[in-house]
Amino acid sequence: MDKEKDILKWFNGELSDEEIKNLQASEGFDTFEKIRFYSEQFDVPKRDVAASLEDFKQNYRSKATKEKTPETKIRKLNLSMFYKVAAAVVLLATLSYFMFSNNMYTLETSVAQNKQISLPDGSEVTLNAGSKLAYNKNSWKNERNLELEGEAFFKVAKGEKFTVQMDEESVQVLGTQFNIKDRENYFDVQCFEGKVRVTFTNGETILTKGKAFRMLKGKKGYVYDIVDEKPSWMQQESSFNEVPLSEVIEELERQYDIKIKTENVNVSQLYTGTFTHTNKELALQSVAIPLRMEYKINENEVIFYHNGDK
Amino acid sequence: MQSEHGSLCDESSFNNFYATYLQAASNFAFYKSGDKASAMDIIQEAFVKVWENCAKIDPSKAKTYLFTTINNTFLNVVKHQKVVLNYEKTASYMDRTNQDPAYIMEENEFKQKLQNAIADLDDKEREVFLLSRVEGKKYREIAELLDISQKTVEKRMSLALKKLRAKIEGL
Repeated sequence: MDKEKDILKWFNGELSDEEIKNLQASEGFDTFEKIRFYSEQFDVPKRDVAASLEDFKQNYRSKATKEKTPETKIRKLNLSMFYKVAAAVVLLATLSYFMFSNNMYTLETSVAQNKQISLPDGSEVTLNAGSKLAYNKNSWKNERNLELEGEAFFKVAKGEKFTVQMDEESVQVLGTQFNIKDRENYFDVQCFEGKVRVTFTNGETILTKGKAFRMLKGKKGYVYDIVDEKPSWMQQESSFNEVPLSEVIEELERQYDIKIKTENVNVSQLYTGTFTHTNKELALQSVAIPLRMEYKINENEVIFYHNGDK
Repeated sequence: MQSEHGSLCDESSFNNFYATYLQAASNFAFYKSGDKASAMDIIQEAFVKVWENCAKIDPSKAKTYLFTTINNTFLNVVKHQKVVLNYEKTASYMDRTNQDPAYIMEENEFKQKLQNAIADLDDKEREVFLLSRVEGKKYREIAELLDISQKTVEKRMSLALKKLRAKIEGL
């Protein structure tokens, strides 16, 4: 049919205005005209070449390279100067906290800083401020073993046993989400999904979803309930439930890079409440007011004190 | 084409190739999956295949190889979702000064019908139609891209148009 051919040509931009005019009288022209008009307006996701290429190299090609033979590795050495520099810059910028010592992979956060890392098995770890995480790259395939100092949230991919080792305690899971806080005088594990086994010097306990375990130095550990779906620090807050003030102060110091002193204050009294990570004044108030303390700020030093008559 | 000179195993040639075809590949995958994220995943994997086989692929065929790989992924792996594209602009047809609510409603209704009609097309018809309409590619270019004859492209386009019209007019 000629008309059909003409319409095809029309859609391919091959018809002259004259010919289009002739077509106008034909059946269905209005509909086609509108189809033509509106179908040009569809939205397709725009891709950023640089970002996609980076993602390609980091997350796609590297996987393929790992599985492949040295052949690919040799190719990698043929990088042009530009890419050597680019790669170095990217490495510095993104991996400045990764260090290699023997075969240990270490990730560290300083004060007032969070970091996220994906482990080779797809598990994800988010490190809270002032914490350190390490694992052995070589033995990781056989044994999922991690060392932790500080606080981290774990989202563990399903698989064999996953163990987090601390100085005195260890936590083992199969596939789950949990948070560990291991500070000097304070140990706390919260289980957000699945099951977690906590082993400590004098025994062990198994936590199910919504349960948490806490142990203060020199005291007996106890299990308590949690309602949140994620640890509060991942929402830029720190929450405490009957936690000694000394511990809360340490957390404030970590989140705001400050030193806190106390005068005339009982640091073993218990604090229940939440402070934000985004506003120092507000955070200090959230801690001070419920405990009827006052505070003063001298640059990076904060003093909590009790006014004599209160 | 300049970007197709040199072996793809060479880092800079490959980067060039990637930059040249990323958007087109992404669009193509998107026409098929209708899902932004999975489209991206699919093309990245396809580029990995190109990279892995760089020594075996004739640079002049690399583009076809890439698109064929994406195409095959859809044959093999991806479960199809309904492909519904969204409109980017909200420009109204022809009569732009006409603010009559009834008219605007009618136009929106048309747009809606068009979306649904496109979603109901066969994959092959839809991909040809969208390559032509959204990207303004000529039938000849589409044929080359999909490694099929121009006749086939025209046939699919013709069929697509017929179906769209029938759906929209409710014939």
